[in-house]
Amino acid sequence: MVPTYCKFVIFNKIVRLTSKMLFYSFFKTLVGHEIIVELKNDICVTGRLHSVDQFLNIKLIEVCVSDPEKYPYMNYISESFIRGSVVRYVQLPVNSVDSQLLQDAARKEITIR
Amino acid sequence: MLVELKNGETYNGHLVTCDSWMNINLREVICTSKDGDRFWRLPECYIRGSMIKYLRIPDEIFDMVKEDIVVNKARGRTDNQKNRGGSRGARQGFGGRGGGGNNRGTGQQQRGGPKSFRGK
Amino acid sequence: MSSGLESYVNHTVSIITSDGRNFVGTLKGFDQTINIILDDSHERVYSPNQGVEQIILGLHLIRGDNVAIIGEVDETMDSSIDLSAIRAEPIGSVVF
Repeated sequence: MVPTYCKFVIFNKIVRLTSKMLFYSFFKTLVGHEIIVELKNDICVTGRLHSVDQFLNIKLIEVCVSDPEKYPYMNYISESFIRGSVVRYVQLPVNSVDSQLLQDAARKEITIR
Repeated sequence: MLVELKNGETYNGHLVTCDSWMNINLREVICTSKDGDRFWRLPECYIRGSMIKYLRIPDEIFDMVKEDIVVNKARGRTDNQKNRGGSRGARQGFGGRGGGGNNRGTGQQQRGGPKSFRGK
Repeated sequence: MSSGLESYVNHTVSIITSDGRNFVGTLKGFDQTINIILDDSHERVYSPNQGVEQIILGLHLIRGDNVAIIGEVDETMDSSIDLSAIRAEPIGSVVF
C-alpha cells in the first residue's frame, strides 16, 4: 500500500517539476469541493470546483456571487470560468486540505529543483 | 476595425498586417483620446499586441473566417502529417487552434476590411 | 488542456473584463491565452441610478489579458431578469 504522500509526489514527478504544477496538482485534488474565489477586483465568487488547468484558470459550477446586491452582474450565470491571473485568494474547506502534505511536497520540490 | 487599448485610447483604421503576438499595423487611422474629446488623424500606425484591450470587427469577417476554417481543416490534416516529426517551429504564439489559420484569417481581413468599410 | 471553455462555444456567455465592463454574446472561439471571439455581442452598462443600458456592438475580439470571468448565461434565468430594474455600482477594475 503506497501512502498518500508518496502518491502525491510521484504524480508530481510525472507531471513536471515546477511549483506551478504542484499547485495545479493540488487544485486537481480539490475538484468537486465548494470553494470561494476572491478576485483582484474584490468580487467573491462561491462555487463547486469543476476543473482547473495549468494556468490555474478555474471553472466553477453552481456559482453564486457572495454579494449579489452589489454585483447583480452574475445573477443569470450558473457556471463560470475564471482566468487564473485575476484570482487574489482561493478559500478552501479546511478539512479537504492536508497542509502538512502540501508543505512537505513544496519543500521536496524546492530541493529537487 | 476599431481597436481599444488598455489605456482607453481607440484607433479606428484599416488593418494592414498583424502577427501572432497580435501586434497590428493600421492604415488611415483616427485615434481618439481616452475621454473621447480629442482626435488625431494618422496615415499609419503600429500597435503592440499587449497594449490591446479588444478589437471591434465588422460582422462579415466572421463568415469569412468560418469558411477559412473549413478550408483549413481539410488542408490542415495533410499539413500536420507533413509536419509530423519535424520541428515545432510552425506552432508559435497563438498556435493551438492552427497557427496557420491565424495568418490566413488576417489575410482575409486585409482583403475584406477595406471592402466592408467602403460598403458602410 | 484549457479547463473547459470548449463547452461554452456557441453558447451565450457573459464576460467581465478586468476594467469592470460586462460583455454578453455568443462565444465563437478562444485560445490558450483566453483571447475571446464574441459574436452578436452587447455591453451591459450598470449604473446606480438607472436601469441596465445595453449597447449593441456586434463582433468582438477581447484580448485574454483583459478577461476576468466568463460565465455561461443561463437563458431561462437571464430572460426572467428585468434588466431595467437593476441598479448597481460599477465593478472596480482588477488591480494587478
